Amino acid sequence: MAYLLQHLLTEAAARQPGRPAVASGDAAATYGELDRWSTQVARALLRLGVAPGDRVALLAPKSAAAVAGLYGVLKAGACYVPLDPKAPADRLSYVVRDSGAAAIVTDDARAAQAAALAADVPGSPPILVTGSLDVAAESEVPLAGERAIENDLAYILYTSGSTGTPKGVMISHRNSLAFAEWAAAEAGLGEQDRVCSPAPLHFDLSVFDVFSSCRAGACLAVLPEGAATFPVSIATWLERERISVWYSVPSLLTLLACFGGLQRFDLSRLRTVIFAGEVFPPKYLARLMAELPHPRYLNWYGPTETNVCTAFEVRKGEAGDAPVPIGTACANTEVFAVTPDGRLVSEPGEEGELYVRGPTVMRGYWGQQAKTREVLVTNPFRAEYDELVYRTGDLVTLEPTGDYAYVGRRDSMVKIRGYRVELGEVEAALYRHPAIREAAVLPVPDELLGSRLRAVIAGTGAADLTRDAVLEHCRQWLPGYMVPDLVEFRETLPRTSTGKVDRAGLATD
Amino acid sequence: METVINDYVSRELVQDPRLLPLADDTSLLETGILDSLNLLRLVVFLEERFGIAVGDADLLPDNFASVNAICGYVRAREPGKQEAARG
Repeated sequence: MAYLLQHLLTEAAARQPGRPAVASGDAAATYGELDRWSTQVARALLRLGVAPGDRVALLAPKSAAAVAGLYGVLKAGACYVPLDPKAPADRLSYVVRDSGAAAIVTDDARAAQAAALAADVPGSPPILVTGSLDVAAESEVPLAGERAIENDLAYILYTSGSTGTPKGVMISHRNSLAFAEWAAAEAGLGEQDRVCSPAPLHFDLSVFDVFSSCRAGACLAVLPEGAATFPVSIATWLERERISVWYSVPSLLTLLACFGGLQRFDLSRLRTVIFAGEVFPPKYLARLMAELPHPRYLNWYGPTETNVCTAFEVRKGEAGDAPVPIGTACANTEVFAVTPDGRLVSEPGEEGELYVRGPTVMRGYWGQQAKTREVLVTNPFRAEYDELVYRTGDLVTLEPTGDYAYVGRRDSMVKIRGYRVELGEVEAALYRHPAIREAAVLPVPDELLGSRLRAVIAGTGAADLTRDAVLEHCRQWLPGYMVPDLVEFRETLPRTSTGKVDRAGLATD
Repeated sequence: METVINDYVSRELVQDPRLLPLADDTSLLETGILDSLNLLRLVVFLEERFGIAVGDADLLPDNFASVNAICGYVRAREPGKQEAARG
């Protein structure tokens, strides 16, 4: 019985050891190899002193080595914390410190970066390079991960936090496995499939290609980093690698539809295209479906805290003027919407905040019980016993078809290429600059990119507070997608009668 | 032209300060400077600044691998030289 994520790997390895598990450039691993490799990683981690329940940071782009690394962490009974290798050093060391990582797992190419990171953290956690292990996979000593239970943490995904530092979303084995199994069935994955999601490991879309593929014994194909830049290169690669299932944010599919020259390629193997993370601009979805009419198109919705909780299949001709709905709840999950006055949304056209109950709902935010209690709340419609449900903060309306449609946020979070950005975190980074007195960050809608960020700043009058200086400052603290595109300077920021920054006024300026 | 393009890439696209100053022959791909989004921003900049039109078939690694490669591409695409670029 598979109740831990690593059981997916051991079962696939027992069933089909010689079939490809991961294909990344020249490096490939079969299920048998991946199983043995990850066991070596686990034994090496245990030798380094990693104990059950520990956190282990993972600094590696998606690859066979990274997947062996993450399964190794799980087999050691620990929980992995995937890092964004491109994030600024200060942000990475914050995540390693905040999670209390007992070790850092990395690949050959990132060993130097991992060493610098470890040196930057109190206690300097030991580093394990997955490429150079001299540990035998076979041993009589049982792996610590075999004692884990499904409620134990499998991984922590850090996302933007409104108070200025990232927050860690805790996902248990049960949480992730419930999604992986649903998604594998929903996409009809089989061992012949070649599955690609360009999402990096710290982004929860990658849970699909890593774990659902393994559940089905399919091959996870890694899009090479250089190819991901050029839409035509992506299309070339999709054809050459005979990719059958694709899962990404809409903006990448928009680029493919507009600049991929898709009709020049034989993409007949591509049978399912799934998108999630942000609203797909309808005219680009229609263009994609016109360029590439044969695959199934699925719109999946859900925050990192619940993974996917609703799904909608887009039929031919349905992509038109309005964004496609987020659909209805996944199997084994319930969603409902609550009006501002606390009533259950039941009539078409009514708007409310979406709540989620089900096995994919996260365990909470790491080390932030108060923040967790704001979003994991008692089900307001269950008087007889306490049940925790997740408040998404997303506003939806109920459609006459029974589908939910996404309306917007009830707070100041925006999506940029599918990444969550809390405007407050960007503002907090700006306020760290000694010459910035006031700062407000506003989203500017962008047809191709979803949103861009506009920073409005009032300085102390220091002459060296230029746009370039502001951007350079931001890049020390924030990953690229959170750095504002537009920077404006004002004498002072407009205020409302209650003394708050007048965002509505600024937005219309 | 090298200076103009290097300035733009350094100021707008380079995320990691450790990559500065940027040499004209530094790979924009291996360093991860050029992702799909930055590529589009760069294309808009080149079209506005140099008055060229960049077609989707031109969005290839060879044309954007470094500042030098971009300059070579732009020179071939400048008004009056379209034929040369196609050849």
